[in-house]
Amino acid sequence: MTEKQLSTDEAELYDRQIRLWGIESQERLRAADVLLIGVRGLGSEIAKNIILAGINSLTILDDGEVTQEDLRQNFLLQEKIPLGNKIAEEVLPRAQALNPLVKLTGDTEPVAAKTSDYFKKFTMVVATRIKFDAIIKIDNYCREHNVKFLYGDIFGFFGFAVSDLQEHDYFEDRVQLQSGQKRGHDGEKKTIKVEAKMTFPPLNKVLILPNTKQDINAIKKMSRPNNLFVALLVLLEFRRQHDRDPAAAKMSEDVDTLKSISSQIVELYNFSNIQMDDLYELFFGDISPVCAVLGGVMAQEVIKAVSHKEPPINNIFLFDPVSYSGKELTVGP
Amino acid sequence: MNCQEVVAAELNNTSLAQLIPKSKILVVGAGGIGCEILKNLCLSGFQDVEIIDLDTIDVSNLNRQFLFRKEHVGKPKAVVARESVMTFTSNMKIKAYHDSIFNQEYGINFFKRFKLVLNALDNRSARNHVNRMCLAADVPLVESGTAGYSGQVELIKKGLTQCYECQPKPQQRSFPGCTIRNTPSEPVHCIVWAKHLFNQLFGEDDPDQDVSPDTEDPELKKDGEFSTTHTGDVQRKSTRQWAEEINYEPEKLFNKFFKDDINYLLSMENLWKTRKAPTPLSWEESHLCVSNISEEDISTSIDMRILSLQKCAEIFSDTVTTLKKQLVNRKFLVWDKDDKPAMDFVAACANIRAHIFSIPQKSRFAVKSIAGNIIPAIATANALIAGLVVLYAFRVLKNELNKCPTIYLRQKSVYSKVLLAADNSLQSPNPNCYVCSSKPVVDVFVNVFKMTLNEFENEILKNTLNMVAPDAILDGKGVVVISSEEGETQINNNKKLNEVGIIDGSILKVDDFLQNYELTVNINHYEAKEKDDPPFKFVANPSDLKTKQENGVNNGVNVSTDSYTTQQSSDDDDVVTCTTEDYDYEASSSKRRKMNPPEDEDDLIIVEDVIN
Repeated sequence: MTEKQLSTDEAELYDRQIRLWGIESQERLRAADVLLIGVRGLGSEIAKNIILAGINSLTILDDGEVTQEDLRQNFLLQEKIPLGNKIAEEVLPRAQALNPLVKLTGDTEPVAAKTSDYFKKFTMVVATRIKFDAIIKIDNYCREHNVKFLYGDIFGFFGFAVSDLQEHDYFEDRVQLQSGQKRGHDGEKKTIKVEAKMTFPPLNKVLILPNTKQDINAIKKMSRPNNLFVALLVLLEFRRQHDRDPAAAKMSEDVDTLKSISSQIVELYNFSNIQMDDLYELFFGDISPVCAVLGGVMAQEVIKAVSHKEPPINNIFLFDPVSYSGKELTVGP
Repeated sequence: MNCQEVVAAELNNTSLAQLIPKSKILVVGAGGIGCEILKNLCLSGFQDVEIIDLDTIDVSNLNRQFLFRKEHVGKPKAVVARESVMTFTSNMKIKAYHDSIFNQEYGINFFKRFKLVLNALDNRSARNHVNRMCLAADVPLVESGTAGYSGQVELIKKGLTQCYECQPKPQQRSFPGCTIRNTPSEPVHCIVWAKHLFNQLFGEDDPDQDVSPDTEDPELKKDGEFSTTHTGDVQRKSTRQWAEEINYEPEKLFNKFFKDDINYLLSMENLWKTRKAPTPLSWEESHLCVSNISEEDISTSIDMRILSLQKCAEIFSDTVTTLKKQLVNRKFLVWDKDDKPAMDFVAACANIRAHIFSIPQKSRFAVKSIAGNIIPAIATANALIAGLVVLYAFRVLKNELNKCPTIYLRQKSVYSKVLLAADNSLQSPNPNCYVCSSKPVVDVFVNVFKMTLNEFENEILKNTLNMVAPDAILDGKGVVVISSEEGETQINNNKKLNEVGIIDGSILKVDDFLQNYELTVNINHYEAKEKDDPPFKFVANPSDLKTKQENGVNNGVNVSTDSYTTQQSSDDDDVVTCTTEDYDYEASSSKRRKMNPPEDEDDLIIVEDVIN
């Protein structure tokens, strides 16, 4: 971006968010080039939210074709699109209509075909629906070029996101009352800008699966083993072993597989007291409102990361499929 | 597979998949949350949805209300939202109403047609109203709201959960008249004054919005200096009349409001014994003021800059001329933050007054936030909250109401690991709630010798207690004192309460037919004594009243109101209902927490308020 100052039109369009995160953040957003990998249920939610926010450019990478399921589940597709067309191209018209100021590109090549150099030109990479090996590989590429990386997925009512922002500087505004005034009274408030730094570990030291030559001892032992963290690993391992996600049509078979994978994970991590029996059946299906929840969380993480405003989630977000609460979990060396 | 089977597989739940297509849903509001809800309902297989919104689309909606585009600006939200969703599905039946939910057409029978109502509103009075309609029709309601990064989703079901009005909500910030007129100390005081000035010069007449020095200031009464006038003000012609007579000549207006009135204030010496006295500013002087901020500094837009007095005076002059022209052939103008001359006028006047009183000046952007009561709104928080709303809709359809405790979305902070915090269980109804309890009662404190019946109906029954069309009967005597039938009690309008027999100890039976809501109002005579006392107040909870009477009624009133609110109603999206965030409201939120601690006690944090 050459011109730094926002135009009057932009100031008007983004007014309600500028009042939240400030002009400076908006200018940083406008300079951000983001790559989104995967534009199905969750991906289309993330795309919508960050296009609305006003980044400079979004590249949508997905080599898949439009399926019947996509037509019903993806609001970025027109209803009459022929099945079999490339989804990364078909979502562009509606995505563009969300915000004409954002430069959009569709890329229909497979992720596996992309080499390190491809990732260099982005400010941040966001990925959904990729396999474990791809997560680790893309994270490495991103690290080579100092590009921030966020990965997330949903399985039924469960959703999670994992971030590697590497060395991340950010600032936040803290509101303080002027001294001598009581809370809740009409005192003039003062906003101070606080700067801070966070260091994120690479994802091959965060997500560790059985039989991968990864060093489990690199991870700090968790004070309280977390069922949902185990669930995240179990589902990644399921996808890695079977090259698909758990399917409602094969539920009882898949639940058995999930159970056996989870005992492997529990053993690898030497966890105790993991109670997941109530959860397995909640990992099936593609639930739109869960995409909306996780898409909101992940897009907000993108906005925070590229604008360097507000503390990011460090480094895992877990959405509870039973209570619908959502928490941060910090995992790593 | 047919559609239902597909939905069943996607949702992994056969019973839910059968319920979804046949459940009729009402979405109230087609703004930030409403658009997202409508999309989620559509993608989840709902087929019978109605949506209502009074509003039309504005440019500042487009950063989050994703069903709308630039070419839709000015069109009705509900209608465009429907059309937009129909382009990605044809399986869904959506009925759109471009209308107010307060309209009498949407009575109990309208609400009874729905399996579930989803609120996506932007203001408290509409929320109160839908709350009452759903209680009366006994339809479950999922209530939601966001403000900035924060938000909340809660289920409201008659007899099972708290209703929207079980806990008193924080009052909109208000200021005593004499602070606004005589002794401003904060930028907001000057902004309120500037809005009042706009209304005095161009708007609808409102005697509560006088901008001239107030000689009834209680601070003056201390040594009797100015206490002699009966009417309060040294009464002259109305400001409007005078302005018309001088043909809105900017120089004369300027000198009156910023020089003569200030000189008059200076003559009230008592006011300035303990505070810094203001410095009058004449039209000529304003042109000599050199800015301490370089006007050449173009790295920030003019909206973000603090302008010199000279520039403010210039804007004052230009906008007065423009607004005067707008007034031709019209009775009055209505102030609107998005109307450029109206907004420019307020920003300029507020800053000139701030300078006079040595109060920090603000940019037009910042003045607009306060004057327009703008609540920041972002796509992500709305999307997230709307996702939770529809997840709760699933649970309501499956009749799992007890699995829908309130969920709070909080701004992430380094001190907290919780982004979405769910209560452990439902909040039981407040047995003393003045809306949902079996025999609702409120105690109203009012000056029965001064307040007219008309004021009682409008300010107390309608604006404060949120009724739409109340009828009131004086208990014991059976006299109808207020009637919702046009003209029936018009004769009473300007009578004082005592003149129709409403005195201390009277009981009014008030009934709102539309809301199917009956309320007993106990009248208590009360006189405002101190400067900050509200003109009237009310207490909803009899046990509160008992303890408060012991301490004197003046302390600890649940809700009070007066005419100097900065915000008549918020006109923006998605006002928060997040009690954990509002520090004005700490008492009830901390009570809530104790009653119902979230699962990880150690993760609990007090969120610094950045909203107000």
